[in-house]
Amino acid sequence: MSDLNAVTTAEAPATDAGKPRGLAGDAWLDLRSRKVFWIAAALVVVVLLMAAWPSLFTSADPGDCLLARKNAGASGGAIFGYDFQGCDVYAKTVYGARDSVVVAIAATLIAGVIGLFVGLAAGYAGGWIDALLSRFIDVMLGVPFLLGAIVLAKRLSSDPESNGVVAVILTLGVLGWTAAARVMRSAVISAKNQDYVAAARMLGAGPGRLMFRHILPNSISPFIVVLTILLGVNIAGEATLSYLGVGLKGDAVSWGLAIAETGPYARTAAAPLVWPSVFLAATVLAFIMLGDAVRDAFDPKLR
Amino acid sequence: MPGKSPWKVAAAATTIVLLAAGCSGSSSEDTEVLPNSISIGIAEPSSLIPSNSIESSGSQVLASLFYPLVRFDANNAPYPVAAQSITKDKTNRIWTVRLKPGFTFSNGEPVVADNYIDAWNYGAYGPNGQLASYFYSRIDGYADLQSKDPDGDGPEKASDPKATKLRGLKKVNNLTFTVTLTEGFVNWDSVMGYDSFYPLPKAAFSGDGVLNKDFEQAPIGNGPFKMKGTWSHDEKITVEKVADFKGTVPKVNGITWKIYQDLGAQYADLVGGNLDIETKIPIENLASASGDLGARLGRTPSSAFSFVGFPMYLDKYKNPNVRRALSMAINRQEMTDQVFLGSETPATSFVSPVLQGAKSTSCGQWCEYNPTRAKQLYSAANGPKDIKISYNIDGGHKAWVDAMCNQIKASLAINCTGVGLPKLKDVLDRVKAGEDVGLIRLGWTMDYPLMESYLGPLYTSDGSSNYYGYKNSTFDSLVRQGSAALTKAESEKLWIEAEAQLVRDMPVLPLRFGQNVFGYSERVTDVTMDLYQKVDIYSVDIAG
Repeated sequence: MSDLNAVTTAEAPATDAGKPRGLAGDAWLDLRSRKVFWIAAALVVVVLLMAAWPSLFTSADPGDCLLARKNAGASGGAIFGYDFQGCDVYAKTVYGARDSVVVAIAATLIAGVIGLFVGLAAGYAGGWIDALLSRFIDVMLGVPFLLGAIVLAKRLSSDPESNGVVAVILTLGVLGWTAAARVMRSAVISAKNQDYVAAARMLGAGPGRLMFRHILPNSISPFIVVLTILLGVNIAGEATLSYLGVGLKGDAVSWGLAIAETGPYARTAAAPLVWPSVFLAATVLAFIMLGDAVRDAFDPKLR
Repeated sequence: MPGKSPWKVAAAATTIVLLAAGCSGSSSEDTEVLPNSISIGIAEPSSLIPSNSIESSGSQVLASLFYPLVRFDANNAPYPVAAQSITKDKTNRIWTVRLKPGFTFSNGEPVVADNYIDAWNYGAYGPNGQLASYFYSRIDGYADLQSKDPDGDGPEKASDPKATKLRGLKKVNNLTFTVTLTEGFVNWDSVMGYDSFYPLPKAAFSGDGVLNKDFEQAPIGNGPFKMKGTWSHDEKITVEKVADFKGTVPKVNGITWKIYQDLGAQYADLVGGNLDIETKIPIENLASASGDLGARLGRTPSSAFSFVGFPMYLDKYKNPNVRRALSMAINRQEMTDQVFLGSETPATSFVSPVLQGAKSTSCGQWCEYNPTRAKQLYSAANGPKDIKISYNIDGGHKAWVDAMCNQIKASLAINCTGVGLPKLKDVLDRVKAGEDVGLIRLGWTMDYPLMESYLGPLYTSDGSSNYYGYKNSTFDSLVRQGSAALTKAESEKLWIEAEAQLVRDMPVLPLRFGQNVFGYSERVTDVTMDLYQKVDIYSVDIAG
């Protein structure tokens, strides 16, 4: 046993010749040289800006709709033309970013918190607690996403006058934490057998200190990668639910809603359907590419 | 592992897109079709018992299985069909119906007076809960067939009604019976054209006044078609021609009523050649329909009337000027032109102009688009700053409700949102509970060609469809006097006065009068639809 430990500890310092660099530092160096990362990051920044300050991008009001302009072509500020109701498609698409992004971030936070604690507890405690939590994760994964989401979202948004934001956040959050929890659990299991953990334990560190000071910082990176990808998945999830009529509704403005509303008219006026779809696809893609790039940087073995 | 989830979502999304585009062809591959038979698209009927029929899909199927006492000519005057003659006494109170001899039900039973009396007694008996029961309410003795709940919706059970048979129905001989009304009604023969006045065979009843539980699954009627098999719920109802039918014989040998949940899917089947007739082209497809169907896109007048009602129980809509201002804030012409592409016409009256005697502009200035005046009136009356329009999602109303909200927003500078609820029942439940639902989306199709059909049920204090709670004693008495008048001209005059009272009060906003916009396949010809949104099953024929 002690021989084996001696070999691994001897290897570690040998890699770094110059300035000492952490895992994150390595990853950053790696990321900086990747084109995919920069494209994805730029797209994400644009979408976040759109969500925070839509008025930076358009001066038009998305609620200003006049039937007289039905399906009219591009003019002035309305570079994408007008939809069936005579609303500015560009303004609606820009304002649609806010609800989509807010829902995605909030749902991911909920999923992250649940996933973090379940994964940490299962991985650290092991034994019957791990067995119980792992089976529970299996059960959650066994629920088909759309079925579970439709049932849950319908149930949560029973008030016909709410715009459905809270219901969609809870639905996506409650159904989306399983992947994050599994990744967290396996990372914790591999981290807790490391020497520095054993050393800390021998120095008298309690379970709380071990978990949050030593294990968590060294096992969080794959977890963050999963959450980045989950952001994109949640944006798509919100659009799916809104399209099916159980997501956002009423005066909410979102890409999924715009797609649902304009879909039936696509044969006579395609632009109002195409633009929100393009924005949706680009945003989802950006988050997924960003997640992939970050994962590759953190874990070169996967490349 | 983490890479898996996005693909799951993507795969699911693809499935949805395919479904939405109507690419799931599995449902349309039917079993063998009768030679010379056609298919017509409908929605799932709510019931196939005549006295329980209150919507057009069920009514359409019943029209093929049953033969009515009267039908209406081009001037909406009734003429006898299953009846030999219908006569009345001087007071218009006692009506004598003589039936044509030789008619049978599709199971071979001869049609006799008792069949009518039994069916109407069943429909009028309160505990049977028949939704079209109010059509019998003019018959003497109707009140005795209704049970009274002593404590409203409370725990105490309603007592049994005083009687089980209508006092006003009397058999004279096998083919003759009399109908005595509580009050004289000169137009009673028109009312008897409605579904709830079809006869039911002896085979329909398992005991005195007890309908067979399974009767509805395969109704036996006196009409030109009979059921082939039973009602396949949410799928189809097949009917075939009755041999040696004594009345008008239809040209096709059978009809398959295909049941659809979605008008869009129905349209895809029509264009794809899997369906012969679609009775209502969805508004999303109107723009491309003339290209898809060419001359096979038909338009005929219909009696449909679309309107929004004000919840009269809420204080904020009590001021008539608030209601008038909202009416003037709406550009009806723009809505019918842009959203409905001219398939409906703006409504500027409360009674459809398809009826002789009804004026198409009786609403006057209040139904004309005048945003400036509307805004002045609205702010002077201190109207609510935030209004809602409640509608049912399953009826395809979202597009025009949103458009109407946008017009109100633009004209009055207030906020307006459409609140979609799954079904009309959900909207009406909220109305019943006294909740703030805002404006209520409603529609109406006349039951018989009389102005009263647009006035009595919708606005009288005890009207069967007066959901919004409009009450006006002048209006009530004008409608009643109109019904009691001795001549048709006199009753028409009083009903026009009643409509004028509605114009003063504006309990609802008239929006549009409908039109049947239907399409048919290359297989069929001579397709036409009547004022009641029904396909004429006697004229339709196989092409070529």
